[in-house]
Amino acid sequence: MTENNQDNLQKVVIVPCSGIGKTYGTVTREAAYNVTEDLRPEQTQLVALSLLVLGDESARASLVDSPAVTIDGCKLACATKMVQECGGNVVKDFAVLDVYRRYKQFKPQGIAELNAGGYKLAEALAEEVAAVVDGLVDEQDTLVRDLLIRSDSSSEGGSYG
Amino acid sequence: MVDLPKKKVGIVACSGEELPEGTITRLAALKVLEQLRPADTVTICLPLFLAGGEGDRAFARFYPTIALDGCDKRCAARATEMYSSKPAASIVVTDLIAEKVLDSLGSARRLSATGLQTVEITSEQTAALVDELLGKRWSRRTGTFTETDPALRPQETVEATCACGSGIPIRKIVIDGQVVSLIALPLIFEQFLEANKTPCDDTARGLLETVKIYNSVPTEDEQAYASTLLREYAEFCAEKEPVR
Repeated sequence: MTENNQDNLQKVVIVPCSGIGKTYGTVTREAAYNVTEDLRPEQTQLVALSLLVLGDESARASLVDSPAVTIDGCKLACATKMVQECGGNVVKDFAVLDVYRRYKQFKPQGIAELNAGGYKLAEALAEEVAAVVDGLVDEQDTLVRDLLIRSDSSSEGGSYG
Repeated sequence: MVDLPKKKVGIVACSGEELPEGTITRLAALKVLEQLRPADTVTICLPLFLAGGEGDRAFARFYPTIALDGCDKRCAARATEMYSSKPAASIVVTDLIAEKVLDSLGSARRLSATGLQTVEITSEQTAALVDELLGKRWSRRTGTFTETDPALRPQETVEATCACGSGIPIRKIVIDGQVVSLIALPLIFEQFLEANKTPCDDTARGLLETVKIYNSVPTEDEQAYASTLLREYAEFCAEKEPVR
């Protein structure tokens, strides 16, 4: 992808539930940091769920025209529900339990501080989120490139007219 | 014997992911819940006020609640008030440390030593508020927490538990043509039934007094509440009779 194209792309919004009462909530938070700070910092943006709950205008605005990936720690799916409630476009909703079923060797524990298994599960989850982000970025990149080509063609056609 | 939910203080943290102060609220809340006042506190995830059910939205009416916010947007306090009930107390980390902390707090993901110190300050302040709320607000109604100074009660370290999904049990009844949601009524009925209390005037008074612990009952409506509670309790007992 070119730098110019990157400038035209909307960042993918990442919203973890950060649930406070269960280990999986902390896993969502850590995975979101993994994606937005380590794996795909240029392509993603972390949005605080509490701001969406409050109805903060700038947080809601960040969902406009941007695809969102939500990460939920339990079946109540607060992150997914809130993004949808705010009019956001959830292109993929991750549930930690589903991811854990694929990585049962990691046994997450702790809420304030995850154990090693918790951090590994967060890393595995983050890799899956990053893969989704890559797919979205590729799609956007292709769209932007097509638009630029069409725009160039139109300009050239006009000059001959 | 069915236990009614104990009188506890609710802690609602903003847990803001974008700022170190948000992480501080989260860790301070967990420290209070797990270490400082585990027997006296309970928590709920903030978004459940919207994403959850009626029981979740009853949280701050049921528990006197302390909102912990990282910044002056005060998401926890304002959202709790909007969707549940006004918090009994509120802490904003940036205000709390305005004149105390000069160094960087670290990042939202990894707090610095100063950030961790701020967690201590915030959690101590929160625990003090818990004691204050338990002593002042609720002792007059139940007498439960005046026996011992909460700060002196032995506290066992536990893992924090949240109210996510469990909700506060609610039963809707019709009083003078109005539908009223009464918090904890199903558990109150269970408790009275297990105590072999038969539907009678004494029981009606007992029901009303217990309901008033968890719900606001207008003085002028007490008689209507008592008679309706008695009728509902009689129905409840009749429903349970065949399986007893």
